[in-house]
Amino acid sequence: MFKNIFINEIRYWIYRPAFYIYCLIFFFISLMISGSAAGIFDAVTVTVGSSLIVNSPYALGGLFGAVSTLVIFLYPSIIGVSVYRDFKSNMYSILYSYPFTKLEYLLAKFLSGLLIVNIIVFTIGLGIACGFNLPGVNPDLLTEFELKPYLDIYVIYIIPNMIFTGAIVFGIVTFTRNISAGFIFVIIILILQGFLVSFGQEQENRLISALLDPFGDMALDYYTRYWTVAEQNELYIPIKEIVVYNRLIWMSIASFIFAGIYKLFSFSQNAFSFSFGKKNSTRFIKSNFGGITKILLPKVNLSFSKSTKLSLLWKLSNVDFLYIIKSWPFISIVLVGLLIQLIGLFELGNIFGTATLPRTWRILQVGNSFTLAINICTFLYAGLLIHRSRISNISQLIDTTPAPIWVLYGSKFLAIVKMQIVLLSLVMVSGVIFQTFQGYYDFQIGLYLHELIALNLIYYIIWALLSFLIQALIPNPFLGLFVMIVLFIGIPLTNLAGIEQAIFKYSQGPGFSYSDMNGYGSGLNRYYIYKFYWLCLGVVFYILTLLFYNRGYVSSAVEKFKIAKNRFRGVIPFFISVFTILFISIGGYIYYVNNILNIRKSSKESEIETVEWEKKYKKFENYAQPRIVSVNVNVDIFPNTRDISASGKYTMVNKSSKSIDSIFLDHNSAINTFKFDNANTLVLEDTVYNFDIYKLEKPLKPGDSLSLAFTVKNKPNTTLRNNSSVVYNGTFINNFTLFPSLGYSGGELRDDKTREKYGLPPNELKPHPSDSTALGNTYISRDSDWIDFEAVVSTSKDQIAIAPGYLQKEWIENDRRYFHYKMDSKILNFYAFNSARYEVLKDKWRDVNLEIYYHKGHEYNLDRMMKGMKAALEYCSENFSPYQHKQARIIEFPRTAGTFAQSFPNTIPFSETIGFIADVDDSEEGGNDYPFYVTAHEIAHQWWAHQVIGADVLGSTMLSESLSEYVSLKIIESVNGKNKMRKFLKRSLDTYLTDRTFERKRENALMYNDGQGYIHYQKGSLIFYALSDYIGENTLNQALSTYVKKTAFQEPPYTTSIELVNELKKVTPDSLSYVIKDMFETITLYENKVISAKSKELENGKFQLDLEFNVSKYRNDEKGKMFYGDREIDSIYFQSEEMKKPQYSVYLEDYIDVGVFGENDDNELYLKKHKITSINNKLSIILDKKPVEVGVDPYNKLIDTNSDDNRVKI
Amino acid sequence: MELIVKNLTKTYSNKVKALDNVNLRIGVGMFGLLGPNGAGKSTLMRTIATIQSPDEGKIHFNEIDVLNDKLSLRKVLGYLPQSFGVYPKMSAEQLLNYLASLKGIQNKEERKALVQELLEITNLYDVRNKNVDGYSGGMKQRFGIAQLLLNNPKLIIVDEPTAGLDPAERQRFLNVLREVGTNCTVIFSTHIVEDVKELCNDMAIMNGGKILRHVKPAKSTKEIVGKIWTKSVKRSDLEKFEKKYNVLSSNYNVDNSINVRVFSEKRPAVGFKKAEPQLDDVYFIALKEDNTN
Repeated sequence: MFKNIFINEIRYWIYRPAFYIYCLIFFFISLMISGSAAGIFDAVTVTVGSSLIVNSPYALGGLFGAVSTLVIFLYPSIIGVSVYRDFKSNMYSILYSYPFTKLEYLLAKFLSGLLIVNIIVFTIGLGIACGFNLPGVNPDLLTEFELKPYLDIYVIYIIPNMIFTGAIVFGIVTFTRNISAGFIFVIIILILQGFLVSFGQEQENRLISALLDPFGDMALDYYTRYWTVAEQNELYIPIKEIVVYNRLIWMSIASFIFAGIYKLFSFSQNAFSFSFGKKNSTRFIKSNFGGITKILLPKVNLSFSKSTKLSLLWKLSNVDFLYIIKSWPFISIVLVGLLIQLIGLFELGNIFGTATLPRTWRILQVGNSFTLAINICTFLYAGLLIHRSRISNISQLIDTTPAPIWVLYGSKFLAIVKMQIVLLSLVMVSGVIFQTFQGYYDFQIGLYLHELIALNLIYYIIWALLSFLIQALIPNPFLGLFVMIVLFIGIPLTNLAGIEQAIFKYSQGPGFSYSDMNGYGSGLNRYYIYKFYWLCLGVVFYILTLLFYNRGYVSSAVEKFKIAKNRFRGVIPFFISVFTILFISIGGYIYYVNNILNIRKSSKESEIETVEWEKKYKKFENYAQPRIVSVNVNVDIFPNTRDISASGKYTMVNKSSKSIDSIFLDHNSAINTFKFDNANTLVLEDTVYNFDIYKLEKPLKPGDSLSLAFTVKNKPNTTLRNNSSVVYNGTFINNFTLFPSLGYSGGELRDDKTREKYGLPPNELKPHPSDSTALGNTYISRDSDWIDFEAVVSTSKDQIAIAPGYLQKEWIENDRRYFHYKMDSKILNFYAFNSARYEVLKDKWRDVNLEIYYHKGHEYNLDRMMKGMKAALEYCSENFSPYQHKQARIIEFPRTAGTFAQSFPNTIPFSETIGFIADVDDSEEGGNDYPFYVTAHEIAHQWWAHQVIGADVLGSTMLSESLSEYVSLKIIESVNGKNKMRKFLKRSLDTYLTDRTFERKRENALMYNDGQGYIHYQKGSLIFYALSDYIGENTLNQALSTYVKKTAFQEPPYTTSIELVNELKKVTPDSLSYVIKDMFETITLYENKVISAKSKELENGKFQLDLEFNVSKYRNDEKGKMFYGDREIDSIYFQSEEMKKPQYSVYLEDYIDVGVFGENDDNELYLKKHKITSINNKLSIILDKKPVEVGVDPYNKLIDTNSDDNRVKI
Repeated sequence: MELIVKNLTKTYSNKVKALDNVNLRIGVGMFGLLGPNGAGKSTLMRTIATIQSPDEGKIHFNEIDVLNDKLSLRKVLGYLPQSFGVYPKMSAEQLLNYLASLKGIQNKEERKALVQELLEITNLYDVRNKNVDGYSGGMKQRFGIAQLLLNNPKLIIVDEPTAGLDPAERQRFLNVLREVGTNCTVIFSTHIVEDVKELCNDMAIMNGGKILRHVKPAKSTKEIVGKIWTKSVKRSDLEKFEKKYNVLSSNYNVDNSINVRVFSEKRPAVGFKKAEPQLDDVYFIALKEDNTN
């Protein structure tokens, strides 16, 4: 019997077109995803260039993960529905009287559904494998085909996931007889999984989410999270402990569920349903048999006027709306959506473990996580409403009423819009509740309504219009839902295939973003134009839906079109042409503005331009140019029109030993004029690259000077295009984007394989620091050393304009406010202009004026920032050298320009979201006080960048970023105490280890780094912190101070990381010289681990602690490949009896912290560096107090791939 | 008042010809459409009720060109399909209210009064707050009648309404139908000859998508007076008889013999008795003739 039922089920699917549609869709999606990863679209879009292999086992896992998530949307309508179908078709009444057992029946139903899903999933593997073999793939990205990784993924992940999710969906749909209930579950499990993924981002939660993740993704992540590029390329996905436990946990849950289904299921007819309240039963008796009744119906007026119909439409929409909000899928999606929203709110803007204040725009940003819930509700209910009367079989009654189609469809559309409004209002309601709960009462109701109802609703309506059309064309609402999800996810992905302009992609267009300082800025009109553009197409879709709206019986697609043709009359042709014309004209206009009036470069064209730029002009890179020695500029900022115009004068000197006959001027694309004071001819004007060559009539002799007067002005801004970066409130513009510079500016393609394709030599990015010929420029500017600076900045009357320097004079002229700034000492050619309506907080540190220019209302953390300024000024001037200025200013700028702070000479533009609205929690559990920390870092840059600046070679950022970060760590340490540093160090370590896995070119050792943030911030700060621990803070700072004396404000040749490291070597004892090698010269990682720790109380009341721990370290090459030393004999190994494989290590003569901790957290009983020479170590320590926790490198000062096993509780 | 159906033809995508050049003229009163299962009755009814498009043909109801002006017909149409479902979790009162608004009754008070009255008439008043999807077959059919009457229809189409009803329900249903059908055109399809006999003043017999006969029930039985013969035969002889005579119907007697009814101008053979003609005979004659053609 099993066989019969099973085969019958399979046959059912084999004859269904939906089955083939699903297979095709998945095959195609997988084909495109793997194909584009392997570079098939290289001809039309940016070259996929990377050192990552895209079909490595690890990469395959990612590809499968992405596509197979979509498959679970099919479970309800394939696996879930198999038993329910027998009820729906009334087949059960015959079937259940037949002689087969429950087990046979259920297993056959379940397994057949599983097999069908399996076949569909198989097409994913097929699609992925084929995608890698499409013509045009880049063979450099691929390794040879191998079956094992595919099998691993199927056997370990996909099939168990299918059984588990399938079993639950099967149970739910069987018992509720409601496919939607299955969908609810699918959505809930996806949300749950999403939650576990974000929960697992925090290090301490990783194990638990690895065990609980229903799809096993986090279990895989648990092992592969820190995999370097080489490991990602070469290793098979791990199948060990946590992965196996995770799979066992979920397989047993699945078997449990199936057993439950088996137990509960019976061959009877009643659906399982939840009922509330008591059941009252009454006996119904028929009465009034036969008999003839006089039928006299009361007179009623039938009305068919327009207004009646409109009010009918409204009324019907209420009925549909009630149907939606009372249905379980809706309620569940909303509840789960709210839950996610709430979790999101608690994690609000988490930076370094610290949340952001619940400003309304912040809440709204979290509210975007509701987008998916609203869209899924829209896609689903559009289908359910359109097909509802047919599914309930009441359609014949409704379709024969005189209600016109526009009323019937209009009411459904309106019901969806009402639903969307309710869902959007929920965002506001939950937001306000959350704000109240947080004790934050600045509710911006107007902002809520503006963003939710004016800005967001239109977006959802545009999607609703498409989903109704799709649902009207597709007879099955769940297939329609699936198609909509594919479209929703797929449309933005067409970028990968080189379709880049938003006007070709439904519902796409520029977004908007809000900042407290600048509101929505100038972007809203553009947003509305694009939305109106799509709305026009949406209206066309609306009319098409009317044409294809199913009324009555339609037996074929041909008939459907015939009916549509019949309905194409009256006002319909008029409206459809009006909106089509409107749609095309707006689209055409946008196209005209972006492509014809202006030059639009596809990413492919930009890539080719980058290549051409390098080919054409790189030859001038080493051509001597005069150096800018002084800058004097006038900058007029017009916040209302968002315009800027500036004029200025560079004074330049030929500092080289040769005459200079040509000047290479690199400028922006605004309206520029240039005038040299020496006679010259313009020999080349390149309007594509904005690169001009002037030939001087009389070559500039060594030591001679030259001046350049220039003006620059933006092209007028239009609604569709911003031609300046001035904003209404909070302008922040630096000199590189505004003013011309001299010489070839670089900006070359990084990936060597892509370069090779275009015939370019491999790119070393920057010269090695040992190259003494390459030290002529700082890494900040290539046309100047130290300059004199003076600026007059004007802005509107209500704003303050700021440039580096000291305010000389402030005046009002022509209703504009002018500020004259002048620098009293030499600075780097690196400055910026800010303008906004500022409040100012003033303070003093010694004789230095401290100022914070902030947005009114952002007073929350000013004192922390002030404290940070003072602490850093104190620390740096005590330890390194005096502060070179008499003022330090922090200038707030809108978050829409980024979340960062940047240190210019005595002037620090500081984003509103990197401190001003942080919600710092000073308690033990609280995160990093980053307003304080970031301020300290930026002030430290006044030394480490503005006094000492490295040459433009590898590793120079270590001299600025790593040392500034070191200063902030030290300041934090002095505030919080040494014992509290572990959480900062662990966080930096985790970020370093995670981010290096995303490296696509190479990872060099710290002193040769290419400028990657994870190296110069996270790794750099850890290393300097550890070094200060090894050689002593004073010793280190002494060495740094000596180094500053040597190099501060130096003229070329500029200093390099080598010079600093040499300075460090001088103060490092020989026994620790390995530290310099490990930390600066190589990538060295420890695997330190406590094996066991036992303590016993001795007779004298003391405690003996017996500790066993392993210390080992390995090195990585630039691709992350592991090795243990330059030569074979440099490595040692250890193997105990239980170990299957020996543990290797680089030769050890290392000093490692061993720490013991007592009852209270702070209670450090013992901390000493032990000299370690072998991997496995045993140690006995006698202690006065009872030890509770022990650790090897307990504070995580070292780079260690697993920072959690360093400490063990006894 | 007249419904005219001209040259109506419909072929389904599975190549079944459901309507084959159907022509009908139907006046006021009850019109019975008699035919076996699958004869094309429902297709014809649905087509007249505007929810199915024919391939060819025309339908006119009074001045209304039905196929081109469906909305106008729907204003005066009452339709009860062969089987229908309802929205779950809606009571009879709610559902009637909902349908009443769809049918164009705008005034809330009027709607309420009308629904009330219809619930009384169809004897559903006591269960008006119960969900319709829990109703028994008879109750649901009564609900069907109630919804049909909402707009005081001029053209009523009921498709096999008595199938599956118990005798009392059936009687009651037919009475109500008769009561409302006096002043309008009622088209009533059935495969039960009894229904037509009791109610209709006009009828057509349909099979294979064709109208086989369009007659008045009383007149049609009169036409075959003296041509229907009956005889009790042994079970074993039945096949022989069927070959030899034009056997219209046969049914068992209690003693296992079989009563056959034969259509013949003259007494077919000795032993045949003259029988009173019934509408059934007319029906079977029509079907038989169609089969032999």
